[in-house]
Amino acid sequence: MSLQNKPTTALTGATGFLGSHLMASMLTTGYRIIALGRSNKEGTLKERIFKLMRWFGIEALDGQLELVEIDFLKPFLGLPESEYKELCAKTEQIIHCASDTSFSERKRENVFKSNVASLKGILDFAEDSKADFFHYISTAYVAGTGVTYCKEILSSAKSFTNVYEESKAAAENIISRFCQKSSIRLSIIRPSIVYGDSQTGRSLKFNALYFPIRSAQSIRDIYLNDLYNNGGIKAAKNGIYLDKDGYLFLPLKIYLPEEGYLNIIPVDYFVNATIKIIENCSQGGIYHLTNNLPTTMKIVAKYYEQLMKVRGVEIIYGLQPDNLLRNPAEELFDRFIEPYRPYLSDKRVFDRTNACLATDNLNPPEFTYEIFKKCIEYAISVNWGQSIL
Amino acid sequence: MQNNVNKPDNISTPYETARNCRHYAMCKIDFLGSGICDSGLEKHFVSFYPQGRMILYEALSENKISITEKCIEIADSCNLCGKCDYQCYFLNEMRPTKVMEALKDHVATYIKNGGKVKSAKEDRILTEIKKIVGENWATNDEAITITYSHDLSPISDPKIPDYVVMPNTKEEIASLVKLFNKNKITYTIRGNGQNLLGFAVNVGVIIDLNRIKTIEFDEKNWYVKIGPGVAAFDLQKQAQKRGYRINAGEPAALVCANIMCSGIMSTFSTTYGINADNFIDAEFIDKDGSLFILNDPSSPNLYSYKNLEHKNSPGICVSASIRLHPVIDDERGILVPFQTLTNAVDFIRDCAIRHIGLALGIVGAEYISTFLSPTKKSASEIKNIFVDKLDIPYLVVVIGDKYAIRTISEMGYPFFDQRLFNALYMGLPSLKSAQWMDLIKELSDDEPYSYLRLKSFADLLETALSPSPALYSQEVDPELRPFFEKLFYKPEMTDLVWLNMYRIMSTRLGRKKPFLPVLIYLPIDNALINELNNKFRLIAEKFNIDNDFGFITPIDNGKRCIFEYDYFFDHNDPEELRRIRLAATEANTLVDEYSVKTGTVKGHPYVLYQGFCRKENLLYS
Ligand SMILES: NC(=O)c1ccc[n+]([C@@H]2O[C@H](COP(=O)([O-])OP(=O)(O)OC[C@H]3O[C@@H](n4cnc5c(N)ncnc54)[C@H](OP(=O)(O)O)[C@@H]3O)[C@@H](O)[C@H]2O)c1
Ligand code: SF4
Repeated sequence: MSLQNKPTTALTGATGFLGSHLMASMLTTGYRIIALGRSNKEGTLKERIFKLMRWFGIEALDGQLELVEIDFLKPFLGLPESEYKELCAKTEQIIHCASDTSFSERKRENVFKSNVASLKGILDFAEDSKADFFHYISTAYVAGTGVTYCKEILSSAKSFTNVYEESKAAAENIISRFCQKSSIRLSIIRPSIVYGDSQTGRSLKFNALYFPIRSAQSIRDIYLNDLYNNGGIKAAKNGIYLDKDGYLFLPLKIYLPEEGYLNIIPVDYFVNATIKIIENCSQGGIYHLTNNLPTTMKIVAKYYEQLMKVRGVEIIYGLQPDNLLRNPAEELFDRFIEPYRPYLSDKRVFDRTNACLATDNLNPPEFTYEIFKKCIEYAISVNWGQSIL
Repeated sequence: MQNNVNKPDNISTPYETARNCRHYAMCKIDFLGSGICDSGLEKHFVSFYPQGRMILYEALSENKISITEKCIEIADSCNLCGKCDYQCYFLNEMRPTKVMEALKDHVATYIKNGGKVKSAKEDRILTEIKKIVGENWATNDEAITITYSHDLSPISDPKIPDYVVMPNTKEEIASLVKLFNKNKITYTIRGNGQNLLGFAVNVGVIIDLNRIKTIEFDEKNWYVKIGPGVAAFDLQKQAQKRGYRINAGEPAALVCANIMCSGIMSTFSTTYGINADNFIDAEFIDKDGSLFILNDPSSPNLYSYKNLEHKNSPGICVSASIRLHPVIDDERGILVPFQTLTNAVDFIRDCAIRHIGLALGIVGAEYISTFLSPTKKSASEIKNIFVDKLDIPYLVVVIGDKYAIRTISEMGYPFFDQRLFNALYMGLPSLKSAQWMDLIKELSDDEPYSYLRLKSFADLLETALSPSPALYSQEVDPELRPFFEKLFYKPEMTDLVWLNMYRIMSTRLGRKKPFLPVLIYLPIDNALINELNNKFRLIAEKFNIDNDFGFITPIDNGKRCIFEYDYFFDHNDPEELRRIRLAATEANTLVDEYSVKTGTVKGHPYVLYQGFCRKENLLYS
C-alpha cells in the first residue's frame, strides 16, 4: 500500500462501530486520516485507536494517521489556536460520523448535546478549514414515523420513534443549511441498521440485530442451567423442557405491532458504499444505504432456533392482548427488546436512486442463514463484545 | 478509592492469626446461635474468651510476658470445641482454634522443659480489692492484665494495667471507687473494649463490668432496666423474645458503655432517635463513689450538652432503663438502589420528613459487598459487580411496615424486596459468572433498575442464580462448609429486618482491615455531604490510606443525619498506623473547620460522653 493522492480526511467517530470500520478501510486504500476524538475511561484516544488498529490487523504508514483530541463544544474544538489553524490548513474533507446513538429518552439532553449542539464546533471547523466537502453519516430513520416511502431528500418529519432519530433529523437540516450558506459540498449518507461483516462475521458492536438474539440466548442459558444443574424445577413450572433431540422448548411469543421488515445491511457494504459515494459524487446529495431485500423477524427467529437449538419462538403480528399472561422469559425478553421493537417490523420502504447511481449499483446481500450464523458465532466467540479489544 | 486493598493478611501461622484479631469482642456474644466459648462464660475475664487468648498468645510469642499461673489456667480451660472458628471465620475469615492449640502447646512445652511458672505477687491494694469483690474477681496476673491492653483505637498505644477487677454490683463499684480515690489509683472503666479513641485502656486498674448482666423488663412502662455488663445483642434478643425492639448499637458493645460514649445510634435512629431518646433513666456512681439517679432533680444535668473532656466524665453508669419499641408483624426490609449519592440522599430525606419507614440508611458498594460476601476475595469481586455491572454504587436500606413499603413503591422507586435479596445473597457465587448481567445494565438504559419492576424478575433471578445455603457456602473453607450451610438455612440469617436489628454483618467491615470511622452529625444537605465526602477521600488519598463512604442515616425527622466515612488501616503496620493517625487528625481538623463555618456540623470527638444529652442540645447548640 502507498499513500494515494486522496484528500486528507478529518474523521469523527473513529472510535465507534462505523467510524472505525471506515477508518480501517480508508487507511488501507491510501487515505490520510486525521481522527478527531476523545479519551475515555478505557484509555486515551491514542490507546483506543491503536487497539482498534490491532483488531483490524492494520498498520498506518508514516504520517498517514494523525490523532487529535477535540471537544466539539469548545471554541477551536478545544485546541490551542495555533494547533487549530494547523489542523484547518491540513484538512481537505470531513466525515462526521460521531454521534450519540442512545435511544433513551432519559438521555435526551446528552443526545441533543452530542448530535445537535456540537455541530457548531464541527461546522465552524469546516468553514475555517480548507475542506470543501462535508460528509455526514446520518440514518435512514430520519424519515420519522407515519411514512411508508422514504425519499432521498431532507426530512420534514415531525414524529419519530425516539430521541436519536429526532436529533439526527434536526442535525441534517442544520448541516444542510450551513453548507449551503458556506458553499461547502455536502453528502448525507443514511444507513439503515448495520450488522457485522457479511464475509467474516466480525463486528465491533452488538446492538440492534444482535440484541434480541443475545437476550434470547441469555434466557435460554438461564433455563438450560436450571435443567442441567438444578433439576429443571423452574423450567418445568414455565413449560420449558428439553426435547428428545436435544432442542430446548422455550415458549417465547413475540408480539410485533404489524407485519413488516427488518432493514439491515452489513458493515462491509456500508464501508464500500460510503467510500464510493465519497469518491464518486462530486456534487453531494443524500444516499440511502438500505436493503432492497429486507429480512423479517420470522426469518430471524427461524435462524435463531436453528442455530441455538431452540423451539417455541413465535412471532405474532398484532397488538398484544391486554392482561395477557407472560411467562418470565417473555416478560424479560419484552423488556430487553423494547427500544428496538419499532425496527423489528418496519413498513417503510427506502428510495435508493442516488445510492445506486453513486455506488455503481452496489447492493447489500440478502440476510441468509450463513451470514446470520457467521455473525452470531463471532458475537458469541467474543462474548458479545465483552472480550473484544 | 482503595489503595492497598490487595495486600493480604498473612494469617498462615497461629502468631499471625493472633496478631490479626480485630478485638471486636464478637466472640463474647452468640450471634450465630452456635454457642459461646464455655470458659469465657464461666470466668468472665476477657482473657478466657478467644479474643483474650489471641492477645495472650501474641504476647507470649513476642516474649512480652512470662508463663504465669493464670496463663496455664487460660490455656487449659480451652477445650478446643471450635466454636470460635465459626464466629471468627464468619466475620474475619480467620480460624482462632489454631492459636488455641498453639497456646496449649507453648505452655505444655514450657512446662515439659522445666520452665518455672510465675505466680503473681498479691500486694496490699489487690488484697483490699479482693475484699470488695471476692477472691476470684480481681487479679494482677500479667496473663490477665495483658489481655486488657488493647481497644479498637489506632490512635492510642497499648497499655498494660496493674490490676483488673470484675465487680458484680453497683455497691461493689462504689466501694472500689472509694478505695482507688483513697489510694490515688487511676481507674478506667471497660465494657467490651470497643472505644475508638483509646479510652478503654490505661495503666492502674481496669474495672471490667461484664459480670453485671441484670435485665429487668417493665413492660407496662415500656422499658428494660439493665446492668452495665449487658451487650446490645443480648438485650435485643431478650427484647425480641417479648415482642419488643431496642435501638441497638454495635452488637458486642455494652449498652451502658455505648450510651456513656457517643450514645446509641443505628439505622433505627431515624425513628427511635439518638442519645437521650434511647433511655428513660440511669444510675451512676460518681467520682466520690456515691450513687446518683439521673432523673433526680438534684443530680448533675446530663441532658444538657457540655462538650465534656474525658477527665470530666460524669461517673460510672451502673444501670440504664432502655426504651422498648413495639414491633409490627408485617415489618419487612427492602434495598433501594441509586446511581448517585445525591439521589440516595434526596430519597432518605424525603422518607424521613414524611415519616416513611422505621429504619433508613444509605450504604455504599463497599459496605454492601462486604456484608454479603463470605470472604474478602468474594467481597471485592462482588463490589465490582455492584458498581460496574449492576450500576449500584449506593443502596438505601429501608425497614418498614407494609404501608411504608407500599408507599415507596408508589413513589416510583424500584427496589430489591426480601425475596430478591435472598436470591442475590444466597446466589452470590453465581452472580460472578452471570453473563446476562451485562444485558441487565443495558436494560436500565431507559430507566435505572427498571428490571426490578418485572413481575417475574424474582423467578428469573432465582432460576439464574440457583440461590441456596449450599451454593453460598461453597465459597468458605471446606472444613467449615457443613456448619455454614446449616447456618444459612436459619431464616434470620437472610432476614433484612433481623440483620438490621442485630447488626452482626457490620463487623465484617473490618475483615479486610480494621477501620476508623469518621462520624459526624450534619444537615441532610447534598452539597455539604458531597463536599465532605470528597474531602475525607482526599485526606485519605494524601496519606495513602484505604477509604470509602460508610453510611448515612437520617435523624430527627430528616433535619439532620449521621454520616460515617471509613478509613482502613493495618494495625500491625507501624507505618500505616503513623499515616492513619495523621489522616485522623486532619479529618478532625476538617470537621472542626466545618463546625465553625456552618454552625451545623458536629464531629464525633464532641459527641463523646454526650450519650446522655438530649439530641436537641447536641444537634442544635
Ligand atoms: N450502527 C448502526 O447501525 C447505524 C445505523 C445508522 C446510522 N448510524 C450512524 O452512524 C454513525 C456511527 O454510528 P456507530 O454505530 O458507529 O456509533 P457508535 O459505535 O456509538 O460510535 C459513536 C462514535 O461517536 C463518538 N461520539 C459520540 N458522542 C460524541 C461527542 N459528544 N463528542 C465526540 N465524539 C462523540 C463516539 O466517541 P466515543 O467512543 O469517545 O464515545 C464514537 O466514536 C452515527 O452517526 C450513527 O447515527 C449507525
Ligand atoms: S476453641 Fe477454645 S477458645 Fe475457641 S471457643 Fe472453644 S474453648 Fe473457646
